[in-house]
Order: sequence, then C-alpha cells, then structure tokens
Amino acid sequence: MRRRVPEIFLGLGFAGIMTTLYLGLNWAPSVSIDAFESPAAQRIFYWHVPSAWAAFIAFGVLFFGSAIWFFKRSPLGWRLHVAGSEAGLACGLMAVWSGCVWGAAEWGTPWDWSDIRLNTFGLLTLLALFLVLGRQSQPDGVETRDTFSTFGLYGFVLVPLTYIATRFWQIRHPGPVIAAGEDGGSLQSSMAVVLLIGALSFTIFIIGHILISMRITHLEQRLEQVQKSLDGGN
Amino acid sequence: MEGINYLTVAYLGMITALAIWTWTVVVRSRSIEARLEAVESSIGIDSSQADGIASQSTNDSQDDATV
Repeated sequence: MRRRVPEIFLGLGFAGIMTTLYLGLNWAPSVSIDAFESPAAQRIFYWHVPSAWAAFIAFGVLFFGSAIWFFKRSPLGWRLHVAGSEAGLACGLMAVWSGCVWGAAEWGTPWDWSDIRLNTFGLLTLLALFLVLGRQSQPDGVETRDTFSTFGLYGFVLVPLTYIATRFWQIRHPGPVIAAGEDGGSLQSSMAVVLLIGALSFTIFIIGHILISMRITHLEQRLEQVQKSLDGGN
Repeated sequence: MEGINYLTVAYLGMITALAIWTWTVVVRSRSIEARLEAVESSIGIDSSQADGIASQSTNDSQDDATV
C-alpha cells in the first residue's frame, strides 16, 4: 500500500486538475470584455497560476535537495534534487506554454523579451532543463552531483526575483491578484474558488510526482548496486 | 466561440502532455521495481546501501578527517 502512495497522489491530483479544467471553462464567470482583448483566453489563468505555483514548490524542493546533498552528502538530498529538477521542468514548461497561449491571444505576441517576470521564470525553467539533460549526459559521481547541486543552490535566487518582478517592474505580465498587499486583489469569489481547487490539485499532483521520482532514483541506485555486486565489485 | 475553441485545444494539449508524462513515470517506476525485485531476490542485497556514491563520498570524508 505504501508503495502506491505516490500513484494515489498522482491520481487525485490529476482528477482535481480535470475538475479545475471543467470549472474554469464552464462555471467560472467571464471577465469584462472592456478590460481584456481576449476575455475567453483569460480562462487559461486557472491552469497557468496553479502550474506556476507547483513549479515554485518544485524549485524549492530542488534548492533544499541541493543544499542537503552539498552539505551533508545525503542520498535523500540527491533524490530531492533529481525530483525537484524534473518536476520543476515539467511545471515550468506548463506555465510558460500556457502563458504563451494567453500572451498570443491577449497581447498579440507570445513572449516579451523586455518583461522581467517572463524572462526570470523562463531562465528558471531553462535551469531545470539544463539540470535534467546535464545529469543524463554525465556519469554519476560526487563531482557531477556537486556541480549540479551548486547550480541548484545558486539558481534559486531567481525564485524571489521572479516573485517580486511584477511588484517592482511591472512591464507586460499582469500584477498580482492574490496576496496583492494593500491594493487588494481583483478576484471574484467564484474565480478564487476555482483557482484554489486548481492550486490544491497541482500541489497534490506535484507531491505525487516528486515522491515517485525520488522512488525511481532510489530504485535505480539499488539496481546499479546490484549490477556492481554481480560484476564482482562493491 | 472561436476563443473558447482555441483555449480548449490549448488545454487538451497540456492535459495530454501531463497524462503522457505521468503515465511514463509510473510505468518506469513499476518496470524498475519489477526488475530489481527479480534480481535482488536471487542474490540478496541490503537496500540501505543503495547509493554507492553517497557512501563512497562519506567514506572519503572520514578518510580525510583521519589524515
């Protein structure tokens, strides 16, 4: 039963994401036609914000995993690093892709190279891509793990920078609608409910992915150990 | 209506990608688990020593400390 916990999380999270999708398209109210170029495309917000939220959870896991490996040489730290980079890449790509879809409909262009939020988040996703591809192309060893952990540690500086980007340098990406400070949010209660369901679903889903990814890394390490034993090594 | 169609296609693309990714990970996990169980049951190995690189690194650190 314990082995199937990640799969239960994945199933529940996926069902929640499908529910969010349905509610976002059919139940959530439309936004004002005057305020948006493409009001229908705004509904991608119910996917974009939760996936970005899940990406930040994954990048947090990547940071802690990198730190634990770097300072403690703990196998758990390396497993967290691997899981965090893979989950961060997947959720980062979902947030970037959904943002591009919305940008193309609302702004007439999928990307703006002058917008700080877009570019720092894009860099974070590229960092995760580098870690995932780099790890697959390098032989596993202490030096390799140290190098990738260093990138995981220093790359995390982009997370707070991305968070504050729309508060200090709002160029094209919309400002915050939640935790907006004294200005207050512009979110109706029914919109907030769908967004909350989406954020919870993505959180459960990404926890499932992190758990199963950690399990895969552990199994691969055991398999490698067994192969070494069979080859007569230690 | 055109906007909703555009959005539905984008959503379906993302859901499909998410489902494929999840399915691939679950299948990979089950496949490695099955292979490992088959091999381990035949030779017998302690799973606590799974990460050889971490234990190697720890041993190196201890060696450095004693020098």
